[in-house]
Amino acid sequence: MAERKTIISVRGLAKRFGSQQIWTNLNLDVYRGEILGIVGGSGQGKSVLLRVITGLVEPDAGTVEVFGRDVRELTPEETVLMEARWGVLFQDGALFSSLSVLQNIQVPMREHLDLPQSMMDDLAFLKLAMVGLKPDSAHKHPSELSGGMRKRAGLARALALDPEIVFLDEPTAGLDPIGASEFDNLIRKLQQTLGLTVYMVTHDLDSIFRVCDRVAVLADQTVVRTGAPESMVKHPDHPWIKEYFCGERARAALA
Amino acid sequence: MLKRDHGVVLPTSVRTPGFRVELEGTIFRLRATGSWTVHEAVKLDGALTRLQVPIPPTPEFTGEVDVSGIAELDTAGAWLLQKTADRWSGSGLDTSFSGTTESFRILIEEVGKRSEVKPAEEEDPGTVKDFSGDMTRAIGGIWQDARLLTSFLGAVTDTFGRQIKEPWRFRPLSFLHHIDHAGLRAVPIIALICLLIGAVVMQQAVVQLRPFGADIFAVNMLGILALREVGVLLTAIMVAGRSGSAFTAEIGSMKMREEIDAMRTLGVDPMDTLVAPRILALIVVLPLLTFIGDIMCLIGGGLMAKAYLGLDVAAYMEQLHSVVDFRHFMAGMVKAPFAALIIGLVGCLEGLKVSGSAESLGKHVTSAVVKAIFLVIVFDAIFAMFLSAIGI
Repeated sequence: MAERKTIISVRGLAKRFGSQQIWTNLNLDVYRGEILGIVGGSGQGKSVLLRVITGLVEPDAGTVEVFGRDVRELTPEETVLMEARWGVLFQDGALFSSLSVLQNIQVPMREHLDLPQSMMDDLAFLKLAMVGLKPDSAHKHPSELSGGMRKRAGLARALALDPEIVFLDEPTAGLDPIGASEFDNLIRKLQQTLGLTVYMVTHDLDSIFRVCDRVAVLADQTVVRTGAPESMVKHPDHPWIKEYFCGERARAALA
Repeated sequence: MLKRDHGVVLPTSVRTPGFRVELEGTIFRLRATGSWTVHEAVKLDGALTRLQVPIPPTPEFTGEVDVSGIAELDTAGAWLLQKTADRWSGSGLDTSFSGTTESFRILIEEVGKRSEVKPAEEEDPGTVKDFSGDMTRAIGGIWQDARLLTSFLGAVTDTFGRQIKEPWRFRPLSFLHHIDHAGLRAVPIIALICLLIGAVVMQQAVVQLRPFGADIFAVNMLGILALREVGVLLTAIMVAGRSGSAFTAEIGSMKMREEIDAMRTLGVDPMDTLVAPRILALIVVLPLLTFIGDIMCLIGGGLMAKAYLGLDVAAYMEQLHSVVDFRHFMAGMVKAPFAALIIGLVGCLEGLKVSGSAESLGKHVTSAVVKAIFLVIVFDAIFAMFLSAIGI
């Protein structure tokens, strides 16, 4: 894997919320074309890290480089360009509740591009089909969709501009095992089809072993280890890794 | 976006998208080059649409889309290529792709599979039909609203009846909370508004009546007007704007987050816990606020009487007593509980009508205030006619 190219590079990150220190010196690299799973106990700042990388939360110290550029040193115009190159799927989809699914998918297209309505419709229907939603859900509002469908619609919106990186915040949380496994397959398939780099916050062991090329473990206020999921099981050198990857549930997921 | 070669930063000349059609033997070849991405999609789509589909002279002619010159490809680009290939195939030219890398092939195939799913067409009903449909819905909506409000009144009455029989259902804490929020905290603003309106009415009346030498009767006019109409109407409108909207927003956001469904499954009746305390609190506080409003209106008038007519407190009171008596006060006051009932009913009902979206919440809060004020004024008119008919 000599040709691995770093696409996101996080260096020396520190963040404190009130009296709680979340990280002291956090370093993380994400390589092009991989599916990276971020795992860690609750309160270790998995979702916060996603928000720091996408520029939604300011860290106390440290740098975040995406595509080789420091995200906090961009001009407003560059930030807009940068945002078109990544897509984020929030936990419950975060669809705009007053817009239909189709309009939701078209929001980034309207914002960043100047396309005629008919082409936006065609492209939005295409994205809808790619995430496995039926065309008849296009005109529904988010409140009329099930949790799994909302996530798929959210993913379609994240993919609207063919981004290079997709951030997923607990994509399989709240889905039944069958739905979760379908969603994992979908992520894998889209990653191959669109050449995506996927940054996935998760604590679903099944999806870690099913789709992740690499996992990064957040513990003790930093990334304690990165590596293939299987290597975590073979050499659990940290108490949390041992508990998580060698527990009863992990054995069930591996079986 | 897929790139043919990830390592290389592409020079602009390679990125400029384009295509040309060439004939080689029995193969019509569409040679696509450059960067076929969504940023270029509009230009490419236009050019591809203008492109004439080659007509095969004999059946052995085939088509080919050569993508070996494409540097960058995304879904939009793949969709355009697939669309063109479909058009060519549709006109009798069997078209395939060539020059694909592994990743390009997967993307083009996936897009091809997906674009077969045709979107459901939404019919456009046309302007006249649209207009008449809107009218029917609007008129039906008024009827529907009236029915809903009446049945909600029934449900609320039923709840109160049950609470009298089973007093433990009543929520005193919630009731007191709403007395505080809808009543006590509304006192300053209602007092101020009524004081100002009382002063303005008095001042205008004096100015208008002075040419006839009847300016002293401005006091009579204000006394009657404040006690019978202005005090209660102003208070009701303020409360509808302040508390009616708050009721809708509170209940509506609970409805949005399925809290109301959760209450029902826990055996907690939202009518007991949410609706009854709010409506009862309004029925208690609105007459009290109206009383404060009446007094402040008269004080405002008194200030202007001092300034414009030179009447001191004793003279002003005497003039008031000469015309105003208890039945005028009661004619205004009797309307307050009914206004409270209307505001409470409309506020809670609109809250319960909120559906999933943030837009729906906003819509119902607006319509709660508009409907409550409208209904309060309509009922006020009915009361005015009724009271004068029975001679009060």
